[in-house]
Amino acid sequence: MRGFNKYFAMAKASLEVIFVYRAGFTVNLIGSVFYVVAMFYLWQTIFLGKPGALGVFTWPEMKAYLIVAFILNSTMTWFDEWQMGADIREGRVATDLARPIDFQLKRFAEASGPIPFELASALAIGAVVAFVFGGIALPADPAHLALFIVSAALATLLKFSIIYCVSMTAFWTTGMEGVSNARMAVQNIFSGALIPLVFFPDWLRGLASVLPFQGMISTPALTYLGAMDGPTTAFMIGTQAVWALGLFLFGRLLWRSAVKAVTINGG
Amino acid sequence: MSSMPLIEARGLTKKFRQAVKEPGLVGSLKHFFTRQYRDKMAVDHIDLSVEAGESVAYLGPNGAGKSTTIKMLTGILVPTEGSLIVDGLVPYEKRQQNARNIGVVFGQRTTLWWDIPVIESFNLARDMYEIPVKRYKQNLAEFTELLGLAEFMNVPAGKVSLGQRMRADLCMALLHDPKMLYLDEPTIGLDIAVKDSIRKFIRRLVDERGTTVMLTTHDLGDIEDICNRIVIIDSGRIIHDGDLGALKDNYARDRVIHFQLARPPESMAAICAGLPACETTSDDGLRLSVRFDRFQYAAGEIAAAVMPHVEVIDFHIDEPEVEDLIRKVYLGQLSLTAPESTAEATESAVATGA
Repeated sequence: MRGFNKYFAMAKASLEVIFVYRAGFTVNLIGSVFYVVAMFYLWQTIFLGKPGALGVFTWPEMKAYLIVAFILNSTMTWFDEWQMGADIREGRVATDLARPIDFQLKRFAEASGPIPFELASALAIGAVVAFVFGGIALPADPAHLALFIVSAALATLLKFSIIYCVSMTAFWTTGMEGVSNARMAVQNIFSGALIPLVFFPDWLRGLASVLPFQGMISTPALTYLGAMDGPTTAFMIGTQAVWALGLFLFGRLLWRSAVKAVTINGG
Repeated sequence: MSSMPLIEARGLTKKFRQAVKEPGLVGSLKHFFTRQYRDKMAVDHIDLSVEAGESVAYLGPNGAGKSTTIKMLTGILVPTEGSLIVDGLVPYEKRQQNARNIGVVFGQRTTLWWDIPVIESFNLARDMYEIPVKRYKQNLAEFTELLGLAEFMNVPAGKVSLGQRMRADLCMALLHDPKMLYLDEPTIGLDIAVKDSIRKFIRRLVDERGTTVMLTTHDLGDIEDICNRIVIIDSGRIIHDGDLGALKDNYARDRVIHFQLARPPESMAAICAGLPACETTSDDGLRLSVRFDRFQYAAGEIAAAVMPHVEVIDFHIDEPEVEDLIRKVYLGQLSLTAPESTAEATESAVATGA
């Protein structure tokens, strides 16, 4: 593991940067609090209209779903297409290329560095929100919790891989903000971040099941709730792993061919 | 192998594909549907070999292909054609391994982490290059002293001055004892004192550590203080490769001395008469410029010839700019030692597309 020391060091440095930009981080955090509270009131209204269970979820389960989604959304908030695109377009990646480091692993280290802090803040806020709204469903079985942790880790890798792949469009386009927004919109729908996928009409749910995004929120959240039977859970986490690793490798391939094919601008 | 040069490039070429777009909305629309491209030869079949311990100035006007060459040498860009070996490695094939042997400083771009204290960037370099702790401490202590880094060691790179940043960038590039140091305009925008200390430092590296240096610059001072050899590139081709003394004797003979006068001179003709073979001009009556050949006159002689005719308040001498030197070389104003013949023969074999 000696070769990974450098990436650990870079991850640590990027965690430190979060503290430099603590004002920005705090504003982001406050924004996300408003968002999760709004989601809670929205879904509370829906559930109050239909006392008991709505489809497959009870209200405590739905609350748990929202909290889990909130926590999963709280990681890697500083890694986006816009920043990577700017680095590519303005030729800053040249600096990285002149170093004995792997470009993708460096990006991964930098994206992961802040996770302990992001996670700690999200857990604290999540606990307060959950308390205020009368508690959430806890995993019925410790095995669910363990599987959830695996699934959540895969969800984070998947998020990185997707953003990394999408960022590579910076080699061909300058409109990274549009690209980033488009990815966010598609992700919010098909990951189940806005509405659990079970509430989708069949055709839309079918589409979601062949896309990688469900692995970002839906799969770990359902694993937490123990909403899927054993084989289904294994299949879904396996699918998640295949997407996460597949896209990670695909990103490497994209980067390599892009670097070969395209000039590094600026200078 | 010890007999091999540190850098060995043969027929090194980089072609870029540039989008060709007609002006205006119609042009943009046309471009959207039928993209047209044109190949631009950034580096055109250059041959270059650099021995260990040399300090080479790599010069040329903007867009001549300097940075492109450096980027190929560092493994950042893949050459379109030709062969390239740096310290026994093909840089773009073994990019990471090559990166361990080289240090790179871009004058216009920092390699330090912007938001964290300078010392922590150095610590990251230690981890990235896996520098043995003892060696790291030695180097850090030495560079800190030589470059005067102590006063801003704990300040984030984004908050230090340009001169401080450049000094820290140099340290950053050298902590892992690279054999080869690439400097891309290392003194751009710096004040005289900082320029001077940076040049002395680099010269010392070459002399004491035997580091091989290749630098691009637009500042003659950099070359004079650091380099033994000058390579000039223009439009992607090497048009001069030789030592500095010869180049200066041949191309930098002219000096211009400027006088600030108290009153307009009574007779320009009288001044000119005293200075045959010089070009004497006076633009607004209170300024007088004399262009002279430094092998023919000393600056003092010019001053002595001018003083009796006018009252001089102030004067200064223009040093020739590298830009002028290069311009002269490629305008062919002065005879050249024949540059190495470029590989014209292989040109017909250029495969198009890729």
